[in-house]
Amino acid sequence: MRKSAGVALAFPAWVWLLVFFVAPVGMVIWFSFGYKPGIFGTHANDVLSFDRYAEAMSPTFFATFQNTLWVGIAGTVICLLVGLPVAYWMAVKAPPSRRGLLVALVMVPFWTNFLVRTIGWQVILAPEGWLSSTLQAVGLIDGPLELLYTRGAVLLGVVYNYLPLMILPLFVAFDRVSGPLREASKDLGAGKWTTFFRVTLPLARPGVVAGVLLVFIPLMGDYITATVLGGAKGNMVGQLVASQFQTAQNWALGSAMAVLLIIVIMATVAVGAGLVWLVTLPFRTRNRLVLGEPEPSAVSKPVEEVAA
Amino acid sequence: MKQRSWSDVVLSVWGVLVFVFLFAPILVIIVSSFNVGRLLVSWQSFGFDSFLALFEKPAIRDAVWISVQTGFIAAVVATLLGTLAGIAMARHPGKWVWWFLGLLLLVSVTPEIVDAVALLPWLVVLGQDLGIGLFNDGIVRLVIGHSLFSVAVVSYLVRARLVGQEGQLEEASADLYAKPPATFRRVTLPLAMPAVLAGFLLSFTLSLDNTVIAAFVQVSGTTPWPVYVLSALRSGLRPEIAAVSTIMLVLTLIALGLVAYVLRRAGDSAADIARTMGGG
Repeated sequence: MRKSAGVALAFPAWVWLLVFFVAPVGMVIWFSFGYKPGIFGTHANDVLSFDRYAEAMSPTFFATFQNTLWVGIAGTVICLLVGLPVAYWMAVKAPPSRRGLLVALVMVPFWTNFLVRTIGWQVILAPEGWLSSTLQAVGLIDGPLELLYTRGAVLLGVVYNYLPLMILPLFVAFDRVSGPLREASKDLGAGKWTTFFRVTLPLARPGVVAGVLLVFIPLMGDYITATVLGGAKGNMVGQLVASQFQTAQNWALGSAMAVLLIIVIMATVAVGAGLVWLVTLPFRTRNRLVLGEPEPSAVSKPVEEVAA
Repeated sequence: MKQRSWSDVVLSVWGVLVFVFLFAPILVIIVSSFNVGRLLVSWQSFGFDSFLALFEKPAIRDAVWISVQTGFIAAVVATLLGTLAGIAMARHPGKWVWWFLGLLLLVSVTPEIVDAVALLPWLVVLGQDLGIGLFNDGIVRLVIGHSLFSVAVVSYLVRARLVGQEGQLEEASADLYAKPPATFRRVTLPLAMPAVLAGFLLSFTLSLDNTVIAAFVQVSGTTPWPVYVLSALRSGLRPEIAAVSTIMLVLTLIALGLVAYVLRRAGDSAADIARTMGGG
């Protein structure tokens, strides 16, 4: 097939994404430099400035950005802590014949309507619901359950909603670490904890990275969970952006918030990656696990001894 | 080795607990759909009344029907565009692939709410300022919004499938004097088929699920099911919401089962299926 004819196969997708993704997002970026003219206008761009960004960073809205970042980081960390043992159990400990079933079970909530399963939590957590009355009957709490419409409920909701996105890539990563490698590690005298932390986990690192990104990025932009479980007040940037477009009709400010949200997400991912790189640096040189051809360099050794 | 260590026991218990956690709200919704009462949260008695709402309430029926229609059209569009792009990336590599993958990456990491607020004014520009009537049609607007992420997913899937199987079969076909269109139809497409089918069904379920973009781009008269639920959230949730959700869940599970079956027939392991469903 001629080269140009082959590349042209991607042409429809290019056009579709340029017209319905790049152009509209570009327009939002353009709006974000404008302002809201009067009560009835939504946006104007005859004077360009960064004022909307300053406005979006003002104390009222800044608190929401802070809260979103807090929920995003806490939610991702909890997902990792909860999901990692489950994925390891599914990939290594569970009988191989049942693994397909377990994977299917993880996917059922993943593909149940996002809004509906969040409403399921609203029903569970309701002050007049059965969980509340059971806990009261047992005597664990005195009054009705007061979790719904708090930050705790939003955190629970996001952990629930994004947990499958953490478990699946971790499962794939653990599944790839071959059993013989772990046995070899044990044969060479390593205990099961040493084997896990020095062989299995380092090899599963791509899965950890994928899981963290798959959870953190959509979580930061979440709008549904916070609306259903966080109540009318709401405290995620997604809700703030939506309200600027739907109720306040201030498209310029809403656009600036949307752009800031993307910047915050990217900056957090970059800072997080840098931190992880720095923290694991000493471990990586010590625990370097080379599969296949060993690297011929022995330069790092003396440096390590000095550091130790 | 038969003796199970305490850490294995803890791990198994934790695994089972997390599965219970994952299914708790879904079970609650399924149970609630048999609630004969006015409100979803307060249980009155067991019955099938709420399922009748699907037949009795035109607003609910229309919303579900709009969702199914949109899901189908969006899946067709995304599969068509994504399959062609995936084949192009796998078989005609070059510098452009990195640009295209970069664009797909941007599409998949942009929060839905940003797509939503961006599409809203853009569709106004296209439909009203430029006067292209097509973009005032409710279904067209929903299909556009729902297809963005799906195009990226299908492209990834098809590319991954074909990159795994190098182009020797196509070369052999060309050596045997098949014209390029014949090679494309008889060799490349069948090779990519499992990924194409999986991509189609994933796009369909993703579209059924889409709430955020749909809430912004919908026009009155074509409200899809999740947006109907979202508005019911403000006016009070009734058991019929749970009933219809239960029906939709069963339909989604059937679609999922089909995907898994197709992939398994094509020789994927549980891990491969997990990777495919995870969208990469």
